[in-house]
Amino acid sequence: MCERNVKVNLENGLHLAPCSAIAKVSSGFDCDVRIVKGDLSINAKDIFEVIQLAAEYGTTLLCKATGPDAPKAIQALADLFESNFEGIVPPEA
Amino acid sequence: MLARRGIAVSPGVAIGSALVLGTEDFRIPQRFVSVDAVDTEVARFRVALDAACREIAENEKLASEQLGQQYAAIFGAHLQMAQNPKLIEEIESLIREKCLSPEFASSRVLRRYAKAIQNLGNTYLAERAADIFDLEKRILRHLLGERREELAHLTEPVLVLAHNLTPSETARLNKQLVIGFATEVGGSTSHTAILAGALEIPAVVGTGDFLSDVSGGEIVIIDGNHGEVIIDPDDKTLTKYRDSEAKFRTFTERLDSLRQLPAETLDGVRIQVMGNIEFPDEVEHCTHRGADGIGLYRTEFLYLENDREPTEEDHYNAYCRVIQAMHGHPVVIRTLDLGADKIPSSFLGASEKAANPVLSLRSLRLSLQNLPLFKTQLRAILRAAVHGDVRVMFPLVTSLLELRQAKMILADVMEDLDEHGVEFNRDVPVGMMVEVPAAAILAHEFAAEVDFLSIGTNDLIQYTLAVDRSDPTVANLYSSGDPSILRLIRTVVEAGKTHNKPVTVCGQMSSDPKFVLQLIGIGLRHISVTPHAIPELKEVIRKITVSHAEQIAAHVQTLEVARDIENYLRGELKKVCPDLVM
Repeated sequence: MCERNVKVNLENGLHLAPCSAIAKVSSGFDCDVRIVKGDLSINAKDIFEVIQLAAEYGTTLLCKATGPDAPKAIQALADLFESNFEGIVPPEA
Repeated sequence: MLARRGIAVSPGVAIGSALVLGTEDFRIPQRFVSVDAVDTEVARFRVALDAACREIAENEKLASEQLGQQYAAIFGAHLQMAQNPKLIEEIESLIREKCLSPEFASSRVLRRYAKAIQNLGNTYLAERAADIFDLEKRILRHLLGERREELAHLTEPVLVLAHNLTPSETARLNKQLVIGFATEVGGSTSHTAILAGALEIPAVVGTGDFLSDVSGGEIVIIDGNHGEVIIDPDDKTLTKYRDSEAKFRTFTERLDSLRQLPAETLDGVRIQVMGNIEFPDEVEHCTHRGADGIGLYRTEFLYLENDREPTEEDHYNAYCRVIQAMHGHPVVIRTLDLGADKIPSSFLGASEKAANPVLSLRSLRLSLQNLPLFKTQLRAILRAAVHGDVRVMFPLVTSLLELRQAKMILADVMEDLDEHGVEFNRDVPVGMMVEVPAAAILAHEFAAEVDFLSIGTNDLIQYTLAVDRSDPTVANLYSSGDPSILRLIRTVVEAGKTHNKPVTVCGQMSSDPKFVLQLIGIGLRHISVTPHAIPELKEVIRKITVSHAEQIAAHVQTLEVARDIENYLRGELKKVCPDLVM
């Protein structure tokens, strides 16, 4: 199992486009990917579940992966958060 | 079953299938499918879903080419949602296990998802529910294909449910097929509410959010008597409402028989009961109920109907239609009563956005600052007045100076018409609305300078109690029965008596039969109400004596709070006309 903390730096939090990016990236790997916020643990491959995080600016989330691709999946998610979803999310107004 | 409370703005009960406007511009024709059709229906759903996904993918490609990858992301998200296995599974199992039609099943499931997002407590995300509605609409469009039934081409009766309806949307509703409507926002004095009354279909406004709880095609009850909207009623409720719908119909039929009888008390005092109208067409709603005249002819529609300023002939023609239909009965024309925020700015030149429209440039104030607009209307009224008993009324008069100014402009217009040899009526009675507390307090001074007074209770209550009734957080503070309101009305009625000038009450308060007891008791003899209330009020008037009403009013004076006053009046009304208290 692999895990890493990430921080939401988007001004409007994880809205639709970033949620979609998370689900899309996670779905590309052969492993189970979950994101944990407090008591809530969701399947990162399901966009509707990612939306349920309602993660606002400044929230810290824990990404967890289990399975063959786990390290790659966690790296890809961390990259996504570190680039602040560049090129995926429209520049915020 | 889910019930929502709003404000009843047009009476009656309507039961039918829902058409949810805005998120769905067409109707779901069928809620259930037969058991043997389930497989073909699931297949039909997959075909539609595939088509919808292809369409979204195309949009994604277009957006990415023309606007850049970051703008295409939103379509990518739509696509992911549409292809979400759990979502598809839920919809398919509703079709297979509950025999719901694919349309109804999709709408149900997607709305549940939208609702979940709205409930996350994050405003930014809550707005994303719109994306799910967009997806719903897209799938429905593919499912329904050619069978799509749009609002403009309905073939079966529906109840329209919307976040909001603009006055022009309301006016365009097909009265034969739209048998009732409910909106999430709006107050009882909003333009839409007034139009609902004009259309004479049951309507409830200001229910708060409920659209995400209802799917097109679901059975809904709109109770325009009590202000209730019931979604997916259980059998018991449905039976109860079917009965009350039937009872309401018989009751209205009985009231209609009062048409030819005068509004006269048991002791022979004649009360003038007139109608409030907005559109010339509504004049028939008044005449066929035996109205004694038009006590309030609102002229705002002339300004809202088109994108251009109405010409003198537009005004003149509209007025003439009403005047001719009333055959010599009085017609009180109220000059423009809109806020600067409601009028296309092209009419007025650039107008600043007011921070507080109800306290800003509106109504007579607006007319006095836009003399060409005002004079056009006055010329038309004076010319039309040749054809009948026409009276002109200024709204929102606040100071004597304003009244004098308005009268001076009227005199200017007369002089001008004279000079050009245009035929007009120079003896048109001039009156004013008493709807600002200042005008009620100075009623004696005003009464000396006008030919008649008309109390507009909607604004008078809003300004006196400092309550916007369309704001659900304070709507319960709005009450016609507040002692302060009753005292102001008494002051105005007494001023009219002293100066021998007729006083009318033309707000919604006078459409409420229990307040009519009180109003007659304090000496009011003229009321003007929404046309459908005329028979009901005649029924009350014909069952009381003036001295009885005076006793009621005397007791009301001893009561200190609105709730006690309303309860007492309701009790008295029940003794007089048990049918009217439902």
